[in-house]
Order: sequence, then C-alpha cells, then structure tokens
Amino acid sequence: MNGERDGLLVRRVLGGDTDAYAGLVARYRDRLGRYAVRMLGNEADAEEALQDTFVRGYRSLARCTDPDRFGAWMFGILVNRCRTHGAKRARRERLLVHDEGAMSGASVAHSEDRDAWREEIARALERLAPDQREAFLLKHVEELSYDEMHDLTGVSVSALKMRVLRAREELRRLLAETYT
Amino acid sequence: MNEHDELIARVAETLKEPVRIDPRLDARVMAEIEAGRTAVPPTRRVLDWLTQARTIRLSPLGGLAIAAGVIVLLWTGTQLRAPSPAAEPSLAAAATLTTTVQFVLIAPDAQSVSVVGDFNDWDVSATMLREDQAPGVWAVTVPLSPGRYRYSFLVDGTTWLTDPLAAQAVADEFGRPNSVVTIGES
Amino acid sequence: MTTRANITLIVLSTVFMATRSVGMAHAQEARLETRLADPARTQVNRMLDSARAADLPTEPLVDRALEGAAKGAPPELIVAAVGRLWDELRTARDALGTRASVGELTAGASALRAGASDTDLRELRARRGTQPLTVAAAVLADLVAAGVPSDTAIVAVLSLARAVDDAQYVAFRRNVERDIALGASPSAALGVRLDAARAELASADHAADRLGDRATRPDRKRKP
Repeated sequence: MNGERDGLLVRRVLGGDTDAYAGLVARYRDRLGRYAVRMLGNEADAEEALQDTFVRGYRSLARCTDPDRFGAWMFGILVNRCRTHGAKRARRERLLVHDEGAMSGASVAHSEDRDAWREEIARALERLAPDQREAFLLKHVEELSYDEMHDLTGVSVSALKMRVLRAREELRRLLAETYT
Repeated sequence: MNEHDELIARVAETLKEPVRIDPRLDARVMAEIEAGRTAVPPTRRVLDWLTQARTIRLSPLGGLAIAAGVIVLLWTGTQLRAPSPAAEPSLAAAATLTTTVQFVLIAPDAQSVSVVGDFNDWDVSATMLREDQAPGVWAVTVPLSPGRYRYSFLVDGTTWLTDPLAAQAVADEFGRPNSVVTIGES
Repeated sequence: MTTRANITLIVLSTVFMATRSVGMAHAQEARLETRLADPARTQVNRMLDSARAADLPTEPLVDRALEGAAKGAPPELIVAAVGRLWDELRTARDALGTRASVGELTAGASALRAGASDTDLRELRARRGTQPLTVAAAVLADLVAAGVPSDTAIVAVLSLARAVDDAQYVAFRRNVERDIALGASPSAALGVRLDAARAELASADHAADRLGDRATRPDRKRKP
C-alpha cells in the first residue's frame, strides 16, 4: 500500500477495499492538518474538522471525479469544513468574555525565540476575520493561484485579492506592534 | 523586497512549517467509517444489497433503481403527504395542523429498525419501522407538527444511522450526527 | 456554559417556581426521571424552570436532554448542550418576538447555531412579514450544514425572504444540496442557484407587469 498512487488507492476503496482508505488518511493527515491548525487555531478543533473531512471524503468518494487529484479534492472539503467549524465556534465564543488586555501586550518583545514568534503569529492570525485568514493561508501558505482559490471557494478573484491585501495589512499592524 | 514584504514572507515561512497531527486520528476515522454511520461508496452499495452484506449499509435511490425485483417504494428518505388535523401543545397557538412524514430505510440484514428523534422523545423503541412493502425496505409514517426535528435511525438497537438523503443537523454535540426534517406552518 | 444572565435567571426561578403549573412541571420531570441521573437531571430541571420563567418553550430543551440520554452521552455534555440551546432559544425569542411559535424558535435557534446573528433573525422577520419563519430559518441552517459559508447562506436566505414561499425555499435548498453532491463547491452551488432564483423571480415580476398591460398569460415555471 505504501507508495501506491492516490488514484490507485481511491479505485481500490471504490472497489470495496475500505481498509485502503486508511492509507489515504495517513498520507494526507499532516498535510491537511497544517491548514486546519492554522485556520482554526488549535489542534483539538483541527482534529475534529479533519476527522469530519476524511469521513465525508469516504462517503462521497465516488464523486471525486479525478482520483489522481484526491488530495486537492479533499482539500476543498477541508476548507469548507473549517468554515462551518469556525461559524459554530464563533457562536459559542460570543458567550465567553474576551479579555482584550490579556491578548495583546503579553508578548516577548525583541526576542529571537522561535516559539515566541510562532505564538505571536498564531495570535495575530486568530484576530483576522475568518475570510481574510482563509484567503491569506490559501495564498501564502498553500501557495494556490487566485484562480485555484476561486475554484475552491467560489469567491471572485478580485474579492480574494482584497481579502489577502487586508490580511497582510492587518498582520503587519499586529506584528509590528509587538516587535517595535 | 521592502521590509513589509519581508515580514509577510517570514510569517508565511513559519506557517509553512509542518504540523504533526496525532496519528490516532486515522483509527478514529476508520472506526467511524466502519461503524456504518457513513454510506459506502455507491458502487459497493448495490453489490452488498444483492449479496447479503455482512454489515448494514445505507442504500440510496440509485441502488434501488439498479437492483431487480424490488418494488420501488418511493424516492427519498422522507416525504410529505397530506396534512391531517391534530392538537399539539405550543406556546403560541392552540391547535396546529400536522403533516404526515414517511421515513424509509433500506436495510436488508436488519432485524429491527426504529426512527428516534425530537418527535418521540428520543425513545429508541417508540417508532418502529416495518418491512411491509418489500424485504429490506423499512418504512413508517409519522404525523409531525410544524417545526424542525432532529432524528436518526437505530438498527438492531445498536447502530445509529443518518438518513442519507435528508439534510444534516449543523452541530451534533453528542458524537453522532443527526438528520433533520423541517415542517413548515403553511 | 451558562452566562451571567442565565445564572441570574436560575436563581430567580426559585421564586417563580411556586407560581407555575405544577402539573406541567411534573410531566416534564417524569420523562427525565427514568432517563437521566442526578446531578444532571437536577441541573436540567433547573434550566427548565428558568425557561418557563423566561417564557421559553421547554419541549426543545427536554428533547435535547433525551437525545443525549438515548445516545449514552456523558451527563456534563448533556447539561452543556441543553444550556447552549437555552441561550439560543432566548436569543431567538428576543429577535423574533413573543408571538413566535415553537417551530420558529427552534428553527431560529438552529440558524443561530449555524452562524446567523440576532440581527439577521430580526431582518428575516421584517422581510417575511406575516409568513412563519420556520422553513426560512431551517433552510439557512441546512445550507450551512451542507458546507455553504454562513455569511453567504444568510445573505441568500434574506435576499429571497420577501419573494419566495416555503415550498420554493425548500426547493432552493434541495437544488443547492444536489449541486454540492455532484461536486460543486458549496459557495458556487449557492451562487448559481441564487442567480437562477433571482432571474426567475424577476421574469415572473416582469411577466406579471405585462399581464397587467396586455392581458396575456405568462408562462410561469416555478423552479428556484
């Protein structure tokens, strides 16, 4: 099973070999997980979205029109799952009190510590509007073209460009505050 | 590259760092799939239905159309019929009209099937489906007042299955997804 | 999971309890008696009491608790789920008014869970006029469950609110879901079907205007 192309594994699953799907899950778990963690901000939520994504992928596997591009197809499902998950979480979090003071200004300024930097980025990402965060991640981390992003999300290229622009401005603003 | 772009580039490089997800996720995914909560890919469904599958599978309309010798019962998991009057306790009005809804599940190997949901207090044995029309085709009709009802099928008292052709509930907080049926007032 | 307002109401409910119908309260408790153990049962009963005090329907709350019991969920999860629904019902009731039916409130709560705000519900009420909101709010929740981003779904449902009836809302939702099942991205599926619905409505309006002008019969196909 190791080393078999995605297309072969997909066809085996469709032929009835359910266990072959485990190979696809193992292959894409970390790759998709990276987007989910960045988008949702924590591993617990990311794992939930990932599990949901993989199960849905199995369920609608026959609709994957190009089995050799299974990964890209799954990624589309994941992006949507993260959106739904984000909407659920936003609703719940309205019930919690956000302590704005605790969130900003508690950083480690001027530090070269890699972990602190990661922490700052994560916090800054969290403060972006979801659609900006999504656009930023798709463009700068997943390195999709705007056309690919449009195919994935259905949003117009001009709107996507605007979201990426705003995301960059906001990230600069948030991170510059910390590091000057 | 000016310093602004450099900052974004640094951010992107950091975010591109690999993330390691707990490998136990794989087992959870496969367990959820095996538990039969999800439908098997369509090409397998028909085969299972015809050849006495080991486990219960959901069968959609597509499978029904291909399989021979089956009375095509009806088209979806739920269907609306004519309204019949009934009373229902509600805050606003006194009596409201009900709509009769039919729940259908194709489960050839099942010994018993019930539908469990908001409309029967989630009582697992209150609304049993019956195999009246054809073997393996389980159905029951339920009068429902206007509202939105979460429900699920329970097969052999052990396996929860969603209705493959109904809408899903947005959030399931108990670890098992639900289907939803909505009845309007009109 | 309870907000400060919730806690206040729970405390006050002990005062209101004496004034509520004892028969009704016992009926609710009886169903929980055999299905839910303490302390969860007591906590849920308290929430039912405060729901009555706040003039909220208790049936959906009991249903949620019974669902958790039927599925063997841990008690704290059941209590949290009932609490969350309590908040959503209250928000829905504030947005939709005291005359809202139980169906409207539960569908409204689902819409809130799907990402709509109380402002969105108010807007839906305003645009829907005298028509019940149950189906419209439910369609919103169902679209989000199918993967449509919640803000997109909200805009779509609101934009149709004045012009379509419940059957057209349901047909719209089914079409979008079918397109998604066939492989379209949820946003794209919604966008296409929304454009089609609007075009259909516009041509129906136009034809109706012409009907007034020329007394000809327009060929109206209702396919949102």
